Amino acid sequence: MTVTAGIDAGSSAVKAVVLEKDGETFSVRSHVVARIRKRDVGRVVRETFDAACESAGVADLHYVATTGEGEETPFATGHFFGMTTHARGALYLEPRARAVLDLGALHARAMAVDPSGRVLNSKMTSQCASGSGQFLENIARYLGVSLSEVGGLSLSAGRGENVSSICAVLAETDVINMVSRGVPTAEILRGIHESMAGRLARLLQTLAVSGLVFVTGGLAADDGLVGALERTLASGAAPGAAPVPVRHPLSAFAGAIGAAIWGEYRYRKLGQEGYSWTSSATA
Amino acid sequence: MAKAVRTFVGIDLGSTTTKAVVLDENGDVLGRGITNSRSNYDLAAEVARTEAFVSARFSLLRAGVERAAGTAALARLLRAFRLEQRLVQWARLRQWIEATAPRAAPAALQPALAATLETLFGRLVAEEEEHFLEPEAPERSDFFRDAAGSAYARLAQEIADPRGVTHDLLVGLYDHSIISVENEPLDLGFPNHIRAALARCGDAPGMAEAAEAAANADLEVAGSVGTGYGRARLPFPKEQIRSEILCHGLGAHAMFPATRTVLDIGGQDTKAIQVDGDGLVTSFQMNDRCAAGCGRYLGYIADEMNMGLHELGPLALQSRTPVRINSTCTVFAGAELRERLSLGERREDILAGLHRAVILRAMSLIARSGGIENEFTFTGGVARNPAAVLALRNLVDENYGERRLNISADSIYTGALGAALFAWRAAA
Repeated sequence: MTVTAGIDAGSSAVKAVVLEKDGETFSVRSHVVARIRKRDVGRVVRETFDAACESAGVADLHYVATTGEGEETPFATGHFFGMTTHARGALYLEPRARAVLDLGALHARAMAVDPSGRVLNSKMTSQCASGSGQFLENIARYLGVSLSEVGGLSLSAGRGENVSSICAVLAETDVINMVSRGVPTAEILRGIHESMAGRLARLLQTLAVSGLVFVTGGLAADDGLVGALERTLASGAAPGAAPVPVRHPLSAFAGAIGAAIWGEYRYRKLGQEGYSWTSSATA
Repeated sequence: MAKAVRTFVGIDLGSTTTKAVVLDENGDVLGRGITNSRSNYDLAAEVARTEAFVSARFSLLRAGVERAAGTAALARLLRAFRLEQRLVQWARLRQWIEATAPRAAPAALQPALAATLETLFGRLVAEEEEHFLEPEAPERSDFFRDAAGSAYARLAQEIADPRGVTHDLLVGLYDHSIISVENEPLDLGFPNHIRAALARCGDAPGMAEAAEAAANADLEVAGSVGTGYGRARLPFPKEQIRSEILCHGLGAHAMFPATRTVLDIGGQDTKAIQVDGDGLVTSFQMNDRCAAGCGRYLGYIADEMNMGLHELGPLALQSRTPVRINSTCTVFAGAELRERLSLGERREDILAGLHRAVILRAMSLIARSGGIENEFTFTGGVARNPAAVLALRNLVDENYGERRLNISADSIYTGALGAALFAWRAAA
């Protein structure tokens, strides 16, 4: 039995998992997420990792893999590129997926993948945070709504306010103007979701993907956004031919899970023996 | 009654502040007024206009009071006048708060709340009176909302009782009531308060006569023009509305007649304008869809660093080895800032790089509008930031060679001045 950890340091949150491989089957022993909120990233990485180990009840690991911005983590065994870890993690959670859409705090990234998890092609949003996770978080704050309420409110709206692409920072004025015109909060959020979905659909279209698109990252939990994306993708294609977004309760952990799986692979390929990390050695 | 003086008014309704300028018959500035913008645009324009006429009447009495009682007496009279205005606002705020109080707290708490409010407002008014008596009093915000908010919150903190009239209750009452005070017309004009102000100053011979003459001067509005972000909602006919671009061009020309290029970096937009020898716009470029390159970019960075906006420039000036910022987007620059701080880079070096990044965006607007051939004027809130000015000087030197760079202390009134000049020209 091999036990590995994966740590995905994003720009707004750190995700950590502990995975166990028994025979050919991986299982997730623990998963922990913590928001960074202007704290020192190295410290948040360490705390999240410790919490994942504690919750899994493990003190020794064969490999500690990092991905995302966790490259400088001193106690890690190795680091993996974000694209490959998200692809691998996505296929673990949904083996039928042929594309991955990673919705992070600052960037959105679309990848076409083959059944073995190899990235065939990829495309990322440009140098602007409009439509990103941080953008949605700003909008929610301007509206006085918590992020967990955003999805439900958006779904409750009968229509979406038409929102052209707006700057994540100047959006405050746009939102105030909409509120002062009397547009209900739910309709503003639905409009924002539709505008974000349009941008994501165009990103996927440039890769010409079809079939199941597995959504990863923090925004995967936003029912309103995923619903809007599903509608947008369906409206631009023949019935049955449209790509369909799917997700998993552990979608936000796809990068960390992928890192832990790659860690196990490297551990096996290098023929290493024993543990890379034990809590007693560093305590 | 003296003969009517024909005046011309320009109003610039911006996203954060509303400005008004009053010109006399010769097109010279008689008064300026500013207030914070608010959801009631008409009222914001009215408050700025009232303030500009207060300032205009003070211009009229200046010579008389200085002759009769000296320069210090004039400054004292102005402070006394401001005090009278503030007392009206505090009294109104108190009325609103007392009207809200019965619904904001249970009946059992009402006597304690009434007593607390009595103490609180007693001390607030006493502080205002002390401020008047102290000629060297530190600068505070000109806007009642800001100055009153911080004084109220500070005193509420001091006298709140965690088991009775809590800080939350007091601040909640303020937040609820200040909006009402801001969105109702209060009489803060010159004629109603100058006599009370004079009484506070003691009666130097000649002063009352000068003040009386200024109060009685018949300032007739012969023309008005509106501009700014909210201009479409000003209660003016269409022919009395001009774009911000035209007004900034003409206003900058009036301040510095040899100006041929104007850069305005405001809170939410940036404009590069080319003007001819008469101050008329020949070309322009504008960015109002992206915060990068606007004042809001620096505001966002200040929030990220938990600093005040006015502290950024002076700190950035201490840099000796500025870093090169790679991100364009404001949000990405914020992330880059955090990353660089965690790598141990110095705050002043990162800030210097961020100021340069804002100005670089402006440089591209300038280049697209036609470059800098001649004298150059920098306006808008960011023109008050010394690090932004330094970065601009350096980049202009590098790209265009040495050019004269003008910055006026009244640059915030540039758009309103241009609007007033349009009104004046139309009548001439």
